[in-house]
Amino acid sequence: MNEQELGLGRCGSFRVHNMAENREPRGAVETELDPVEYTLRKRLPHRLPRRPNDIYVNMKTDFKAQLTRCQKLLDGGARGQNACTEIYIHGLGLAINRAINIALQLQAGSFGSLQVAANTSTVELVDELEPETDTREPLTRIRNNSAIHIRVFRVTPK
Amino acid sequence: MRHAARSPRTSRLDGLSQNLVILTWGTLASSHRVSAEMSNAKERKHAKKMRNQPTNVTLSSGFVADRGVKHRNGGGKPFQAQKEPHSGTSRQRQTRTAHHALAESDANEQSSSRVTFKKKGGWKAGPEGTSQEIPKYITASTFAQARAAEISAMLKAVTQKSSNSLVFQTLPRHMRRRAMSHNVKRLPRRLREIAQKEAEKAVHQKKEHSKNKCHKARRCHINRMLEFNRRQRKNIWLETHIWHAKRFHMVKMWGYCLGERPTVKSHRACYRAMTSRCLLQDLSYYCCLELKGKEEEILRALSPMCSGDTGLTFAAVHYLSGKCQGSLLLYRANKYPRETLGPVTFIWKSERTPGDTSESRQLWIWLHPTLKQDILEEIKAVCQCVEPTGSAVCIPDPLLTPSQEKSQTELPEEKIGRKRKRKDDRENAKPVKKIVGDGTRDPLQPYSWISPATGIIISDLTMEMNRFRLIGPLSHSILTEALKAASVHTEGEDAEKTPHRWWAEACKNPDSVSLHHRQEAVFELLGGVTSPAEVAAGTVLGLTVGDPRINLPQKRSKTLPNPEKCQDNEKVTQLLLEGVPVECSHSFLWNQDICKSVTENKISDQIYRGARVGGLKEAVMHSQYKRSPNVPGDFPDCPAGILFAEEQAKNLLEKYKRRPPAKRPNYVKLGTLAPFCCPWEQLTRDWESRVQAREESSAASSPGGGEMGPTGDVVPGALMPGRTRQLSGEAGTSLNDAEVMDTDCPARAGPEWATSRGATSSLFCVLRSRKLLRQLSAWCGDRRVARLGPGRGQQELSREVCLSVLDCFPRALVWVRLSLLRKGSPEPHTMICIPAKEDLLQLSCDRLYRGPQESKHCDPFKSKIRKQKEKEKTEKRQNRGSATSESLADGDPAAGPHALTLGLWSGPLPAVTSHCSRVLLGFVTRGDFSMAVGCGEALGFVSLTGLLDMLSSQPGGQRGLVLLRPPASLQYRFARVTVEV
Repeated sequence: MNEQELGLGRCGSFRVHNMAENREPRGAVETELDPVEYTLRKRLPHRLPRRPNDIYVNMKTDFKAQLTRCQKLLDGGARGQNACTEIYIHGLGLAINRAINIALQLQAGSFGSLQVAANTSTVELVDELEPETDTREPLTRIRNNSAIHIRVFRVTPK
Repeated sequence: MRHAARSPRTSRLDGLSQNLVILTWGTLASSHRVSAEMSNAKERKHAKKMRNQPTNVTLSSGFVADRGVKHRNGGGKPFQAQKEPHSGTSRQRQTRTAHHALAESDANEQSSSRVTFKKKGGWKAGPEGTSQEIPKYITASTFAQARAAEISAMLKAVTQKSSNSLVFQTLPRHMRRRAMSHNVKRLPRRLREIAQKEAEKAVHQKKEHSKNKCHKARRCHINRMLEFNRRQRKNIWLETHIWHAKRFHMVKMWGYCLGERPTVKSHRACYRAMTSRCLLQDLSYYCCLELKGKEEEILRALSPMCSGDTGLTFAAVHYLSGKCQGSLLLYRANKYPRETLGPVTFIWKSERTPGDTSESRQLWIWLHPTLKQDILEEIKAVCQCVEPTGSAVCIPDPLLTPSQEKSQTELPEEKIGRKRKRKDDRENAKPVKKIVGDGTRDPLQPYSWISPATGIIISDLTMEMNRFRLIGPLSHSILTEALKAASVHTEGEDAEKTPHRWWAEACKNPDSVSLHHRQEAVFELLGGVTSPAEVAAGTVLGLTVGDPRINLPQKRSKTLPNPEKCQDNEKVTQLLLEGVPVECSHSFLWNQDICKSVTENKISDQIYRGARVGGLKEAVMHSQYKRSPNVPGDFPDCPAGILFAEEQAKNLLEKYKRRPPAKRPNYVKLGTLAPFCCPWEQLTRDWESRVQAREESSAASSPGGGEMGPTGDVVPGALMPGRTRQLSGEAGTSLNDAEVMDTDCPARAGPEWATSRGATSSLFCVLRSRKLLRQLSAWCGDRRVARLGPGRGQQELSREVCLSVLDCFPRALVWVRLSLLRKGSPEPHTMICIPAKEDLLQLSCDRLYRGPQESKHCDPFKSKIRKQKEKEKTEKRQNRGSATSESLADGDPAAGPHALTLGLWSGPLPAVTSHCSRVLLGFVTRGDFSMAVGCGEALGFVSLTGLLDMLSSQPGGQRGLVLLRPPASLQYRFARVTVEV
């Protein structure tokens, strides 16, 4: 399952959230700054208030748990009440792959009743450089990371 | 005696049988004669058997049992109080000399019925053949009389309630009604009379209120304040005390009354509030010290107390500007890395103050009340501040202003928002509040000192400022909702009379007005930041706000972040990048001494907006999730920490002793030497001597021992475990010896123990050098750091490096985090041990391997205790033989000077590291199931020497694996060590 399978070009009306729950990938570029004098601390990505049908995929939680969570949102309660007709799956950085994976699994398990539409975006992340010595000022830098927002929605059978 | 207390349930039964066994009395006189001839042993056996029999039955079996009865009946049971003429027969059986005439006359007749009762009472020691003959005649009148007396006694015993419960409590559940205790008529009619009596009695027992004041007078404000002040003489109340006292379990700690945990069941709710909403804590009990003086002077004075090794100090640039709150560890002057005083946080007053050009700077140091005495003394010493200035520096201002200053701090990675407020507690405020300072300070003592040499003024501002901590992503929204920046005064209002004078004056200055507007704008922006973690840690924002009581919402509601606010992207980004501008951290109130507390409304205000309030327990939980040490429990090297540990050990021991021996773990058998305290000193010393011994042996065995260092970590890894095991084996055997001849073990270990303790008191220290910690964490297998390692000048773990580290810190502890691999939730005082080779092997074969089990130890103290007990018993018996009353009087002699407690190691501990099958590395100080991670997590200290030893002996893939064993369990469980920088 890779990104080519996913219809990346097909995006509906989509509200772009430039945020994600997971931590950004490790090993960010550490250029020319002396590691003895600064420690890198990554801040959490800026986040917007979330709706109930927003799902932020991360790398910490078990894949299966996240998949069932999405499935439950789509299925609703015992008699199908409170079922969402569409959910948004967000993934940032390393979690993009997993977000795609979840979306495709959902689609594959739905016997054609679910469709996906993906959108990509770039998220600005703030890196903080904390000084190790008293004479230095703390620094902040902006780093970009890519994110994906997949809309999974029900299509009415004709 | 031990029979004295019996349950009320059996006592009723006693009452019955007592009256029934009267019948047997006639035979008693004769039987007694025979039983006097019984042998001593038989008698004892009999007494033992009769122990649980109804009192009056045991009576019959001679003098031993009879004595027992006396003691037993001394307990003051309800049925004994009743004295009626008829039951005299039964009553007086104890004093054999005074027989009732009636009983005597009945003797013959009753002997016929004796047989049946003998069986009922289970009494079989009756002498055979003594009274087998059947009576020849029965006098009807006396016989009937006696029976009548018995029946009446029986009836009386049945009607008389002997238990302690009230009447309506004895009713079966289906007959109970609501408010029965209040209204007698809800009871069934037959019980009403008794209930009436009981109710009257209860009324009499009720505590009399002070008669001099009626209810109204007591509720009057002044009187209430007086009463409140009286009640907080010993332990000071926070301003939110009354609010808290209604909702929290309060504890008296550190001179304050503090809410420990909410009365409602809320552990999980608090956790949820922390992670997804907002948790509020009142931290006003934190003490604040103010240092005033020239910047260079203050820095020069304080620099010996902190070290750049442990992080940034007071002199860091962004702290000095007043933009940020800093935190650091204080040590005694020039004593780093030993003699820790404790962690503090501090704020410099911002540099650029409009209209203030003086050189003098202000520094506020916030610290925990347990650390205050030590740190204050030390700061006074380094600043050479000796002269108390009295109240010269603080001129009381009688004005009470219902507005407040607020400076706010956000610590992103910890999700803390803080809010501070000043309040007035000068002594002149007559009935309002007369408490100055805290419980740790004598009100008569000065709270301000000046140094003639350096000109630094130290003042103790404890209890003058309030401090709240808001944890959680919604804290910004709640703050922005609850607080509204004060409106600027216009010229038209007369500012002279109102208490807002200082504010009106500030508003006259256009500079400060514009500054206020800027602050307001920043504050508004904060509402759009959905998580405090997005702002730089420790940001300070000064703000003057209006009275929050004015815009208190009508209904309790939940604050939700406003999506519209979040759209203001550019400005927010600016804020995130640059932090709050320096000048915004200035507050107008910092040079004013006026304000009034409206804290209580404050807190309810925030509750109305959906914050949850936590207590001390929540604070501990929070710091555990933060993986930061908690004050004072997790600072074993500072005086407050030592004191705390001692107190905790005492409490736990008391709790342990309250349980019967069979219902508590036998720690000796479990191989737990110190279940209630962590013997850090001995641990570090043991490890030092272990490594030294190994060095010596290796030097002796192989002269090329020094050369195998450079070959890397493989060679020592291959060589060390064998030696370790050998060593532990030796230690084990020597220990067994000690156990066998445990009588001379303490004596042998005693002097050495004392001298070493005296010499090395608090010689161990906690490793806090960031550089070393980072290195250690790389070695522990933190892959993120390890990967960056070689490029960043990190060294490979080798013997030489270890030795150089150990040279600097021979007896050091390292703060580590342990996360369990599979099952298990650790608790405090859990032992951290080094896994043996075969454990790791087994783990690599079987991923579900639970871990090894400790084999049961033998308890050398058990036989000792038994012997002691037997000795006491024989003594007692001898005493009893001579004088009955004396043995009763002197009570339990077991509480001697060296009381051995079953299940605890007594006397000095043997070598702690090698006591069990796995080598001990350290102890857990805090551990629980972590809801954040979803598995057991623990925080604790390990010996640096041991950690290095273990790391160098473990292969790469399994480096950093340890075993955890709780004090009351034999099961070891695998965990991974991470060193927290």
